Amino acid sequence: MTGAGTLLAIPSEPSAVPAPRRARSPLKAAMLLVGGVGLVLMLLPLLMTGYISTIADSVLAFPPDGHSLSWYARLGEFPKFGQALGTSLRIAAMATIGSLAIGIPASIALVRHRFPGRGVLNVLLLSPLTVPGVVIGLALYVLMVEVEIRSEVPMIGSDAMLVLAHLLITIPWVVRLCVANLMQLDRAIEEAAANLGASPRQVLWKVTLPMMRQGIVAAGLFAFIISFENIELTLFLISPGVITLPIAVLQYLEYRADPLVAAVVMVQTAVIALLLVLLDRYVRLSKVV
Amino acid sequence: MARQPSRRRSGEGLTAGLLVGPATAIVLLSLVAPLALLARYSLNQYDRMTFMKEAFTAENYLRFVADPFYAGVLWTTLSIALVTTALCLVIGFPIAYGIARMQSRWKSTAVLLVILPLFIGSTVRALGWIGLLGRGGLVDSMSGLVVPGGGVTLLYTSFAVAIGILSINLPYMILTLQGVIESIDARLEEAADSLGATPGRRFWHVVLPLALPGLATGGILVFILAMNAYATPFLLGGARFQMMAPMLYREYAVNNNWPFAAAIAFILMLTTLSLTAASTLLLQRRYQGA
Repeated sequence: MTGAGTLLAIPSEPSAVPAPRRARSPLKAAMLLVGGVGLVLMLLPLLMTGYISTIADSVLAFPPDGHSLSWYARLGEFPKFGQALGTSLRIAAMATIGSLAIGIPASIALVRHRFPGRGVLNVLLLSPLTVPGVVIGLALYVLMVEVEIRSEVPMIGSDAMLVLAHLLITIPWVVRLCVANLMQLDRAIEEAAANLGASPRQVLWKVTLPMMRQGIVAAGLFAFIISFENIELTLFLISPGVITLPIAVLQYLEYRADPLVAAVVMVQTAVIALLLVLLDRYVRLSKVV
Repeated sequence: MARQPSRRRSGEGLTAGLLVGPATAIVLLSLVAPLALLARYSLNQYDRMTFMKEAFTAENYLRFVADPFYAGVLWTTLSIALVTTALCLVIGFPIAYGIARMQSRWKSTAVLLVILPLFIGSTVRALGWIGLLGRGGLVDSMSGLVVPGGGVTLLYTSFAVAIGILSINLPYMILTLQGVIESIDARLEEAADSLGATPGRRFWHVVLPLALPGLATGGILVFILAMNAYATPFLLGGARFQMMAPMLYREYAVNNNWPFAAAIAFILMLTTLSLTAASTLLLQRRYQGA
């Protein structure tokens, strides 16, 4: 395929083909228009939420009577949201670390080792991606209730069970991204290290893992997002004391949409945007994802 | 190097087993086992007093199929998922193509603009759409200014749900497609150009066939996300607009009918799985034919 591409590309002289430039413009205009619509669809709701958070009156009306940032100052009066943010960050951090610790070795085994059942395992490890979150949530809830009844150990609403549930949906992303990353890496470098006398452990820690850095960062990033944002699965496993931020916001929005909840989600968004910008300095996100 | 004694073989198998073991255990323990139990629950009976009675009956599934209300909810969910998936493909492709072929230093900014909405939860965007489409919202007030007394409330319609899901799923589609398009050799397109292909021909005969695997992956991903959507139909669809995921949750949390909720879960899962499997098979056949 590449061979044919190179062959065909040789006669291509940019200066020799001025004609297609003009013919391209209507198509290009259509693509720009569609692209613009897409950008508006993705970013407009966020801008609107930001705008709502600056409205002085607690009842939404346009044009609003006045603007103020006082809602941000009043966030401290609603500790429920702060608590929920803490829970979300805690669960997402544990799920990210756990899924990397479990998913990276699994990807190395899937790509670098030959063993019976490899194909089946590959499908099995990615399968949670294809099962609807509400189905996983209900199934896990039902199993935990059965175990609770038999063992009398409280499970629903515990951090451990939430993290276990989130591991199930973050591991497939880690495996998917790390497998794709590993397949691009040249195996010859690892073999060269082994030939030069490095033990398998040294090859892993000094060659394979450092080469996987970009894939690992992308995997960690996705694991964090998937866990932090999850609603469908988490919904079944929370208890009154342990509520994640998206669910706290969802429960609030069910009854009212006001500038206060807009301020809450804007703070959450700002924290995450900052995290992204920092990460972008460390590894180019545009190359990773 | 090529032929090693079998001891080395079993050693490698053991290492691989240790590496992949924990991940396998988690998936078996927290996906396969619960699903098996849920399948058993779906054959039980609902009981007004004890909530659930041990049984072995298909009546939960029959109830879903026989009642036009439930079949209608499945149909609504399917049509919303199909429409948003199609729109995601049409809108996502130009953006992904533009970003993939971008050369300037703005490229990483563009990618960040696509990644950022991924991090913003569905509730954040639902709130924005409520402000835009709701009663007294921006669209309502502006149309009221143009035509006095003629406000439009789009919230709690299928339009609101579709646009909400579209806005959430677009970034997933764009990122998937961008990766695939970037792996297509740009010289192939230049070659098509220089051999006299019009931009339309170049698109249909060069870019699109090469990007087809990416379109399939992205399409299946956003289709599953749409079938599964909970927060968007719940917040933007309101009480009258029903989709599968919120209905399942209501059967579980409000009606306490676990056997029926379990049956809904399996109907939702099997519908999603069979449709994605069918589309994969269709694409594979097309590839073999070509």
